[in-house]
Amino acid sequence: MMMQGRLFPTWQIDEDEYRTVCAYLGISPKAHLYEKVSAYLASAPFRFKRPRGFALFLAGVRLTRFRLARMDQATRLFFPEHPVRHVLNCVIGLHECDGEGYRELASAPAGWRAALAIAGWLTGYGFALMVTLAWLGWNFLAYVAGTPFRREQNLAGKRILITGVNRGLGRDLMLHALEQGAEVIGTVRSQEALDNLAAELPREAPARLLVADISQPGALPRVLTENRTQAEAIDLAILCAGVKHGGTSVLAMPALRETFEVNYFSTVDFANWFCAGNSRKSLVLVSSIGRWHGMHLTGGYNASKAALSIWGESLEMELRAVGKQHIDIMIVEPGIFESGMMKRSGVAKLLLTSRRDVAKQILSGAMAGKKSLRPPFWFAVLTWAVCLGGRNLRYRLFARIK
Amino acid sequence: MKIVVIGAGVSGAHAALTLLERGFNVEMWDVGRHEDSFPEPGVTFHELKNRLDDPVDYFLGRDLDALVPPGRGELLRYPPSRHFLASDKDPLWNFLSDGFAPLGSYHRGGLANGWGANALSFDEDDLAGWPVSFSEMDSAYRTVYARIPVAGPVHDDLSSQLAGSYPSQPPIRLSSADERLTRAYERKKSRLHGLGIRLGLARLAVVTDPQHKDACDYCDRCLWGCPKDSIYNPGRSTLQACESFEGFRYVPGRRVLSLVPGEGKITGIRFVDTGSGQTHVETCDVAFLAAGALETGAIFLRSLRAARPDISPETEGLMDTTVLKLPYVALSGIGRPPDSRSFQYNRLIMGILGEPGPWPRYLHAEVLHLPSLLYHPLIESMPFGSRLSKKLFFVLKSALGVVSLFFPDKITPGNRQVLVNAGEQQEAVRLCYQEANEKSAYITQSVARVRAALWRLGCMPKGIIQSAPGSGIHYAGTVPMGKGIKRCDATGRSNLFANVYIADGAAFPSLPSKSISMSLAAHATRIARSARL
Repeated sequence: MMMQGRLFPTWQIDEDEYRTVCAYLGISPKAHLYEKVSAYLASAPFRFKRPRGFALFLAGVRLTRFRLARMDQATRLFFPEHPVRHVLNCVIGLHECDGEGYRELASAPAGWRAALAIAGWLTGYGFALMVTLAWLGWNFLAYVAGTPFRREQNLAGKRILITGVNRGLGRDLMLHALEQGAEVIGTVRSQEALDNLAAELPREAPARLLVADISQPGALPRVLTENRTQAEAIDLAILCAGVKHGGTSVLAMPALRETFEVNYFSTVDFANWFCAGNSRKSLVLVSSIGRWHGMHLTGGYNASKAALSIWGESLEMELRAVGKQHIDIMIVEPGIFESGMMKRSGVAKLLLTSRRDVAKQILSGAMAGKKSLRPPFWFAVLTWAVCLGGRNLRYRLFARIK
Repeated sequence: MKIVVIGAGVSGAHAALTLLERGFNVEMWDVGRHEDSFPEPGVTFHELKNRLDDPVDYFLGRDLDALVPPGRGELLRYPPSRHFLASDKDPLWNFLSDGFAPLGSYHRGGLANGWGANALSFDEDDLAGWPVSFSEMDSAYRTVYARIPVAGPVHDDLSSQLAGSYPSQPPIRLSSADERLTRAYERKKSRLHGLGIRLGLARLAVVTDPQHKDACDYCDRCLWGCPKDSIYNPGRSTLQACESFEGFRYVPGRRVLSLVPGEGKITGIRFVDTGSGQTHVETCDVAFLAAGALETGAIFLRSLRAARPDISPETEGLMDTTVLKLPYVALSGIGRPPDSRSFQYNRLIMGILGEPGPWPRYLHAEVLHLPSLLYHPLIESMPFGSRLSKKLFFVLKSALGVVSLFFPDKITPGNRQVLVNAGEQQEAVRLCYQEANEKSAYITQSVARVRAALWRLGCMPKGIIQSAPGSGIHYAGTVPMGKGIKRCDATGRSNLFANVYIADGAAFPSLPSKSISMSLAAHATRIARSARL
């Protein structure tokens, strides 16, 4: 399996954490075993019980040597099926199959030294346990304090359609949805992208990948119908696929047409199909904070997103007017965040919300029935402030951007 | 005359060989899968980790399916490199489980591919309630002991309890942990005898005489497939003996579904060609059912429904041993270095002797000092964090052992196979099983005695692990000897079809505690020998 970074951070550990685990257990890290650990843990969300509440909070802790020692003791006592138990068990299980790994694991004092060592270890364990309990108490307080700001959604059993899942926000939406127990129908633009993604996902993941070139009118509903997927069977649809032609004139007609086809008309196409029927469901339109202002040399990207946001609002009104209130419409206007579409610079890095966090916010927002989401919020406020300054200010600020 | 033996496990192999020796022509029908040879003969379990290209793949499987996750209470998974076991994931599997989750095998040699090699015979007491006397069985035991090399002592404390046992090989070498335990036993013998507990050397179907080229070389890999063929496997040695007869024909790729009924007998056999998936019928004059108690019961039920649709298609019995494991720490073994080479399965056995009563007097137990295994499930099952558990485990490793008790079973109303029609799974068989209440008192009392004995031997018992019903792999009693059309007579001949013989454990009217493989071989031999053909 090809691994590109961690797919499921609740379960998987990165290479640094793997080295920490090895040092903690007194064994030498091995690159080929890390690959196997990582692949195994990538399939864990689909094999084992998902942590919830405080256990989930602890699973987000980055493993340092100190924290690992605490987590090892704490999970053994209170959360016997916690991801960190799977991590430790898997590392021991793999290293004991390796010649050198087994020698390292099995080295033990013999004869009278054994009794002494056991007494020493048990005493040390007792002291360490006191530190662990204090640490656990502190973390529990942090968890309780954060509770009002945390929206944890159980996506188990939900079927979610996401477009553009091979990269960017779409990919993170899919991974987070899968990790939270949802079944995902994901579309990508080409067979090649599908094959690459399928090779990366664990076999057990309940993801159905389809090729739909949404620059072609009607493509998405057609592909779904061909694959025997009915609109009623989808609980949540997140239209995430989009194009942005950088450095292309807003007068370049082919680019402008494609941009509107993918970013806007495909949505209208899909909504026609999706909004039929009477099942309770949500539609999430991923627009952009750029929809509030013009931008040159984008092949009409901002214009297409403006159209999308305004049309989405119109659709919501119309659904209400015709009595179809079982369909929630959420419009997401992300600002600046770490994504495949943008390069990171030093300062921006500090202010950016991670793409994974945006994905989490979108999923929990959609499940909670939110109408709009503009992550990060400070960026939306800044954009509005600039917009209130009028055309001249916008012109002066944005026309400089290259 | 066309004689067909159905199945190539221990029963089928010995039935076929006996018939061939009587001069008959025999066809053996079998699904006939087979395992590849096992890598690196002579190399020990732990050395293998240095020798294989991808030891993780070998020990845990490509998808790490043999990695036991935390919190499951499982201490061992069958090695992924061994695939002779079949369960509900197998496309040929046609059993529905109701409190009974069994294993089967479609491999040449059947479940004997995983036989723990313990070779014991049923004595007069074990055979109580059978329409067969020990002396009738004994001549068959002598025959199979001549065919199967069995390692064991000339005499020890258990000899008086193990009639019908004729070892031909020297006993298997004990590990140093075993030796410490036997020394403790010698010191405490009289008190242990007072408890009705006796310790002895295991009787094992293993070649141990170093003069033979297939003699055990103590590579510690029994569970992983003996690379030297030292452990008896009917699919190899006995079928090879069959193949030396001209009248023998082994027909793989056939899975028998049912027998075609005629007037008081059968006229043919209905089977699936496992290659094409097509169902065919072929005529035959005599059939020996030796597909294993579960499959034999299933074949019988389908045939019964075809012959007598007025009778409810369910068997009168379904039995399996209940296996209970008592782990312990031998205090004298703490901090001792492990042996570099040993026999992986148990080298010692324990007999727990009781009073005459509803159960056989002899309760069989196997005493196993921790052999080479994958240790992560044991480490994770300790009550500390992984780091301390790992350190403690390897200091205690040479001191760890487990006593496995095999509780007998008998035909109990309700425990049975039922033919069902469940949608696509036509002709599927449901296995209904519930542990008998009267057994639990027997179990509690026996466990208490073994625990007391362990304390006397300087071992600290810790916990108890009871395997799920159906995992004992000693299935029996689905077409038992007795009266009525769902049974067979004392010669194994079906009371419903005059030309059908029940040659496997399906015919057992009760299931003693002792390991059944030698008795399966002896039963098949006796049936084939006395069949009026």
